[in-house]
Amino acid sequence: MVLNRPGNGSICIIVPESSRLNDRRLVSRCLGGDPVAERALYDAHVERIYRLMHRMAGDADLASDFTQDTFIRAFERLEQYRGESSLATWLHTIAVSVALNGMRKVKRLHGRVESVDGVEGSPHLVVAPTGFTGDLRARLHAAIDSLSEKLRPVFVMHDIEGYTHEEIAGSLSIPVGTSKARLFDARARLRLALAAFAGDHIA
Amino acid sequence: MNDDQLDENLAEAARDYNAPGDVPREAMWARIAEARRQPKSIATPTPSRRVCAWPSVGIAAALLISTGIVIGRRMERSTTPPKTVTASLDTTTHRDSVLPVVAQHETTAASTDPGVVAVRGSTPERSGPAKSVAYQMVVLQHLAGTEAMITTFRAAARNGETDAHVAKWARDLLGTTRLLEASPAAEDPMMKRLLEDLELVIVQIVQYSNRGTNDPEELDLIEQSIKKRGVITKLRVTQPNREGSVGTRG
Repeated sequence: MVLNRPGNGSICIIVPESSRLNDRRLVSRCLGGDPVAERALYDAHVERIYRLMHRMAGDADLASDFTQDTFIRAFERLEQYRGESSLATWLHTIAVSVALNGMRKVKRLHGRVESVDGVEGSPHLVVAPTGFTGDLRARLHAAIDSLSEKLRPVFVMHDIEGYTHEEIAGSLSIPVGTSKARLFDARARLRLALAAFAGDHIA
Repeated sequence: MNDDQLDENLAEAARDYNAPGDVPREAMWARIAEARRQPKSIATPTPSRRVCAWPSVGIAAALLISTGIVIGRRMERSTTPPKTVTASLDTTTHRDSVLPVVAQHETTAASTDPGVVAVRGSTPERSGPAKSVAYQMVVLQHLAGTEAMITTFRAAARNGETDAHVAKWARDLLGTTRLLEASPAAEDPMMKRLLEDLELVIVQIVQYSNRGTNDPEELDLIEQSIKKRGVITKLRVTQPNREGSVGTRG
């Protein structure tokens, strides 16, 4: 189980025995209405989930909303947790679903539908950049924003947040091979999206 | 620069993509606790779910009763010995004599009180068919429950909810479906196909409920399965006003 360190300036209640509780015992205690166990579950996972939500949403308020929604749903459905996967994976499955659904609503509201997925041509770079300037970085971020719903979570989780393919596969309910393929695809699309821009700058 | 180096640069440059600040741990916990304290009727549209569930229960009950009658009729047709058929034809010679035997039979059965049929079915010489009726009663009761569960699930899923009770309900029904598939009740090819279709749909519902993610793509797949296999239609075909055609086939 992941244990969190207290954030900068934030108050963190760490239950001493939480590190010794395995997922099932923790869940069992939560189902029994133990508020200490509930808080321990929250503390153990909130930071990682919040980070991911923020990476996905790009907005602190949305990240908070998605994180809260994730835990509210998790507590509501805790009896459905069967221990077949780790509690972290189960929570991340809920979190990713919440984030994707939430982002769809946000996108609908903002009406911004722009994708680099449809770009044709070779996914490999012709002109290789030697570094990333501020402009190029901004371009990269825009390109990540424009990745599809299938590719962006994998790229964000693996290349930015450092999740393993196994963790991603569990969280997204996809095979490990699919996770790897999506990461490959996402990187290729990002390279392609940046190719012309990078070439101009390097030249 | 090769692809690997580029990927490293990409990952490096992406590190500050939507970089999170401090985690508002306490503020979020306070809001989670508050949301959980609120009555469920506010947090989730439970009343609407009840509204959706009750008609399903009513439909299920009506279906069960009507299918009981249907079984009685079918049983009467399938268990009447040829001698009786002849006698039946003899006693109905005033009717249109070109009617096929089955149709004659059905006409006779339709005019028979289902209660009487049930009593006849329980006589010793019909213990085999009576056993079959018992199995079919279980199957039809199961089908009624399954239809109610699917209806409730769809209503909840459309609202983006996954009801824990429905999840448990589906798991129970899945077990019963599998048992029935291996029982004499599935000797009827039509019933066997229906049970197989139901098993697939219920498995999907169970998996969906277990994940608890409300993934719309997965929900679409379940809907497609239900529609493609005509599960609801097949379940409703067992209603009495459509029984005539079913009975003649069975």
